[in-house]
Amino acid sequence: MNGPLIVQSDKTLLLEVDHEQADACRQVIAPFAELERAPEHIHTYRVTPLGLWNARAAGHDAEQVVDALVAYSRYPVPHALLVDIAETMSRYGRLTLSKHPAHGLVLTTTDRPVLEEILRSKKVQPLVGARIDPDTVAVHPSERGQIKQTLLKLGWPAEDLAGYVDGEAHPIELAEDGWSLRPYQQQAVENFWHGGSGVVVLPCGAGKTLVGAGAMAEAKATTLILVTNTVSARQWKHELVKRTSLTEDEIGEYSGTKKEIRPVTIATYQVLTTKRKGVYPHLELFDSRDWGLVVYDEVHLLPAPVFKFTADLQARRRLGLTATLVREDGRESDVFSLIGPKRFDAPWKEIEAQGYIAPADCVEVRVNLTDSERLAYATAESDEKYRFCATTASKQRVTEALVRRHAGEQTLVIGQYIDQLDELGEHLDAPVIKGDTSNAQREKLFNAFREGELSVLVVSKVANFSIDLPEATVAIQVSGTFGSRQEEAQRLGRVLRPKADGHEARFYSVVARDTIDQDFAAHRQRFLAEQGYAYRIVDAHELLADEGA
Amino acid sequence: MGRMSGSHPSPRTLAEELRNRPDDDLSALLRSRPDLLNPVPSDLTQLATRAGTRASVVRAVERLDAFALQTAEALAVAPDPCPYDTLAGLMTGDEEASGTDSALRAAVRGRLPDALAALRAQALVWGPDDRLRLVRTARELLTPSATRPSPTGLGPTVAEAAAGMSPGRLQEIVTAAGLPTTPDPVTAVAALTSLFEDREAMAALLDDAPAESHAVLDRLVWGPPYGAVTAQPAPHLRWLLDRGVLLPVGARNVVLPREAALHLRAGRAHRAPEPEPPALASATARDPEMVDRTAAGQAFTALATIDELLKEWDLGGPPVLRAGGLSVRDLKRTATALDTGVHTAAFWLELAYAAGLIASDGEADERYAPTPAAEDWRQLPAEERWVRLAAAWLAATRTAGLVGTADAKGRTLAALGPHLDRSPAPEVRRRVLALLGGLPPGTAVPQDAVLARLRWERPLRGAAQATPDAAPENGHAPDHNAAQNAAHAAHAAPQDLRSRIALWSLHEAELLGLTGRGALAGHTRALLNAAPDADPAHAHRATAAALAPLLPTPLDHVLLQADLTAVAPGPLERPLADALELLADVESKGGATVYRFTPGSVRRGLDAGRSAADIQSFLAAHSRTPVPQPLAYLIDDVARRHGVLRIGAASAYVRCDDDALLNEIMADRRADGLRLRRLAPTVLAAQAAPDALLEGLRAMGYAPAAESAEGDVVIARADAHRTPPRTAPAPVPDGPPAPDTTLLEAAVRAIRAGDLAATAERKPGPEAAAPAPGRLPRTTSAETLATVQAAALTNSALWIGYVNADGAASQRVIAPVRVEGGFVTAYDHTADEVRTYPLHRITGVSELADDAAS
Repeated sequence: MNGPLIVQSDKTLLLEVDHEQADACRQVIAPFAELERAPEHIHTYRVTPLGLWNARAAGHDAEQVVDALVAYSRYPVPHALLVDIAETMSRYGRLTLSKHPAHGLVLTTTDRPVLEEILRSKKVQPLVGARIDPDTVAVHPSERGQIKQTLLKLGWPAEDLAGYVDGEAHPIELAEDGWSLRPYQQQAVENFWHGGSGVVVLPCGAGKTLVGAGAMAEAKATTLILVTNTVSARQWKHELVKRTSLTEDEIGEYSGTKKEIRPVTIATYQVLTTKRKGVYPHLELFDSRDWGLVVYDEVHLLPAPVFKFTADLQARRRLGLTATLVREDGRESDVFSLIGPKRFDAPWKEIEAQGYIAPADCVEVRVNLTDSERLAYATAESDEKYRFCATTASKQRVTEALVRRHAGEQTLVIGQYIDQLDELGEHLDAPVIKGDTSNAQREKLFNAFREGELSVLVVSKVANFSIDLPEATVAIQVSGTFGSRQEEAQRLGRVLRPKADGHEARFYSVVARDTIDQDFAAHRQRFLAEQGYAYRIVDAHELLADEGA
Repeated sequence: MGRMSGSHPSPRTLAEELRNRPDDDLSALLRSRPDLLNPVPSDLTQLATRAGTRASVVRAVERLDAFALQTAEALAVAPDPCPYDTLAGLMTGDEEASGTDSALRAAVRGRLPDALAALRAQALVWGPDDRLRLVRTARELLTPSATRPSPTGLGPTVAEAAAGMSPGRLQEIVTAAGLPTTPDPVTAVAALTSLFEDREAMAALLDDAPAESHAVLDRLVWGPPYGAVTAQPAPHLRWLLDRGVLLPVGARNVVLPREAALHLRAGRAHRAPEPEPPALASATARDPEMVDRTAAGQAFTALATIDELLKEWDLGGPPVLRAGGLSVRDLKRTATALDTGVHTAAFWLELAYAAGLIASDGEADERYAPTPAAEDWRQLPAEERWVRLAAAWLAATRTAGLVGTADAKGRTLAALGPHLDRSPAPEVRRRVLALLGGLPPGTAVPQDAVLARLRWERPLRGAAQATPDAAPENGHAPDHNAAQNAAHAAHAAPQDLRSRIALWSLHEAELLGLTGRGALAGHTRALLNAAPDADPAHAHRATAAALAPLLPTPLDHVLLQADLTAVAPGPLERPLADALELLADVESKGGATVYRFTPGSVRRGLDAGRSAADIQSFLAAHSRTPVPQPLAYLIDDVARRHGVLRIGAASAYVRCDDDALLNEIMADRRADGLRLRRLAPTVLAAQAAPDALLEGLRAMGYAPAAESAEGDVVIARADAHRTPPRTAPAPVPDGPPAPDTTLLEAAVRAIRAGDLAATAERKPGPEAAAPAPGRLPRTTSAETLATVQAAALTNSALWIGYVNADGAASQRVIAPVRVEGGFVTAYDHTADEVRTYPLHRITGVSELADDAAS
């Protein structure tokens, strides 16, 4: 009884990583417990109903889960918790959606009272058709997503066995010339393909695009790829042309500027969710071809309307790609029911240990405000406070000093407020990329940065997503979207791509001391620390003093 | 005890039989019916009389197990006195009858002597085997009547049912049944009875009955034996009525007489005799070691929870409702604080209350708070703390399971409130655990099996109590949101009190760590195995010793991490835990504890007087890992700002516009005792109270004036809130406490001696003569009771002396009708109406000469 695992009453699992059985234990609990925090000594996993259902969907049963807990636990596991786990897991699969030769889509149960219970729900009634026999009820095919969503909310998630349409076939091969899928990417593709639909969780820089490409090569069908923005769309296109047998002409871009529909079409969330006169005019994209695969990039950012459209796409294979299942809006359950259960997950640190992403040194630089700034901050309106402390002149000076310190290294300065960025750009004599920078200009600048012609780039939050800047080794964050953890992860991701020379990446956060800025920073950094990125805190004046010496 | 030996002549009364029983048997009787001991009866006649009172018999019958009860019921429908073989026949049914399981019959036959012995031991049955007699009150209680059908489903006898019939109609029936006419109704009834009892003749008679008649009989045979008929019965009913197989009861109803029913049942009094207790079936064998560990884990959780509760209420708990108890909102709040559901929280609260750890403080605005005993409790080693809780739980009559349900008047029962006492609780709890204890170690059984066994052991007790608590019950389902589970439990939830207590007990035993995954833990065995008369402290020590090695040993270190958390991978030593709770917020509890350092929590530590260096070194000393840089930085950063604003405590201040005067005071040595401090040129702060300061300055020759309290900074440290010394609530057992051996021996000796004195033949003294005319009769209370009961039986009149509530004495002539519960209900010839007299107000009785009664 000296296992590495401690089961807490709030259903968190504490795993002592230095324990000799820690790895074995991690293997068995990973399928059903969500890694919540991974600091240096004790990792925290959380057992949630979604996690348990994910495990059920992956073919694990309650017995295995209970055995795993009992086998590795250091202290007796509360009986109530075990009962609860068994009970929760048994809820999945009592209802199944399947194809019926005569009635089309049907909902079948193995436990009649459950069917009675859910049929009594007002939310389910409009989604189902005639009762075929005591255990079976017809479901209109168009409500396949809706009913899954509703049933999950009622606590009876349905297993979707209704299968998928193959879609219009289109030859796609991976062009593995001089490179190949990394083992974990290979594993992710396989898990996804066997599961049918679902989400693959990989850290930034771990090559999610390639997992997408791998999935397409498996599907060999027309594919719709949904991405966050145009730059990201170009990135995907570039990457697909390079890594697969697809040519430029086979890949279409469906964005604000172009409306191409080709065998492989990359669309932005933005254009899909554009609403005119109360309707979404670009929705027909989903029906414009017989898609065999739909890929959702950055699932954690999926806008609400896309969920709605996705509910109607349940007969098509869906692949979600993301760095984190944590959604700031808490719609994880919609991801589960509409896109699918988690199919693959690899913690950040593990991939770093395999050398696929660069190690990073995270430093928080605390800046003392001047007396006059402090007074101004104290008297600022509460909704202006963050903006004020995030953009103080003291911070500018420190940021500039940091850039000077890393002169010659590829440096990104990331911020939230445009005037602050403009000012910084001016002082550093560096170009600024922001929302109104044209796509052509953006790509030109990114290219210059990539080629090393530019060594400092100032970017606003437009660069948060999916741009690929392989040679950035230093990132300096001067302000952010309040306390967004997911933004922090994205930004850290900018510098985590492996460097040619194995150089350690640096991630600086410049924070004004004793202000709300510091609180937000603490919130964001907690995420980093929980991912195992121990950060240091340095006083700005010490840093500047070093410089002076 | 077994059958009566033939050495004594057959006793004529219960008292006589008791007189012949050995002392051990009397002890056993008094032990099983302790109500007979209060007060100690003066002789065996009195003991027998008391054993025949209705209240005592009801109490004894309620405590019979299912088979003994069935035996008693069979005796109640058998002739009185009843030979053993007749009784055995009623229990097993006819030898040659088909349809009965021969194994069951053998079991009944085998168990019957034991059941009879149990009834005899309880003094419910007496007499030798050939003349078994059920105590009269018990017979009345169990005999079927029109208003109260017997559990046997048998109706009245032919003689009883035919009592009101005209002789002519009787003769018609006798003739229709194919019997010769008889001279009078008595012989007619006897002839009919013997026909019904003659299996062959009866079978022959019924063979001729129409098929529909058989259907009717099939409906009535297992009871209730009553049916309704119209004024013009159908032919098949008419056939039965004509032959007396159905006898009329009133105008519309008919009854199947007992003898006929017994014929149809092949002589069986019970459809399903239950000679054997239901097995504790489908036992699951678990690893006993795992069971012990699980239970110990839960025991540890119980201790932590109670500890947390005490901490939560350390500064004074929630207010006491005016009607007593905790408000629903406070209960919910406590549940949230304890991170559990409302029902479980109510259990912890009641447990702490039963153990005397919390109580109301009894002040004007009453609040709950830990008692001084809680302080002592917290100092004990973990295993002893647990034993205290477990012992308190075992003995408590308060039932947490009732919290939140409504009582008979519709009032919701509050936690810690009144009306939660249920006397059977301790007995049921012990019994449930004893049942589990009877299984091999590590064996768990489904709760239904336990409930079935309990029901068999006390079939009446449960049913009798079912009505008052029939209020809707939300069930004591686990608190987690397993709605389905709850629904399931509600569906199966039994309504009778004993079963409900048993269910709660099983659940609570698991919570408290007496059982682990449904099986009794090893340490609990030690607690339960204590002999009844042994010093409980001994068993407690044994339990603590068994539990101690299973409890996790407290750790002296934590792991510090860069995300500003500290993880204690197990329970911490108390000083360390207390210090960490001060410096960091608890984020997650269970086997381990996760603490999170925040600026606020570090500030709390600094406020408590620790310096940054102090905290750093404390953490370094107790961490297995180096203190992470962000944590060290956090502490220094908070410390840097800590104390920039200074707040001090001053009890009083001196204000004066003339700073020279203040200089003077500061320089004065006599002011030392006032501990003055200069805060500003014109302000002094004093640690002395305002009145002391005033006195002091006056003594120094100044003329200070007091200022109103406005602006005065008084920072009072909140003091731990304690009740005055309180004792834990005493359990409210049902009936008198079980007598111990010493008392029993003394009581038996006293009864014997009294009996000897009472039954010794002596010369009639002058007192024995009738009282002088005009004087009240004087008799002892035992004589009074015996005489009145005898008079009630014989319907004879008595002359009594009576003192009314005002103390006025009178003489009355009464004819007792009923003697029950210390009252005699009688027709009062003097007042010419039926009145009820308390027996204790009757000074004495005297039988009337026969001629005076008329």
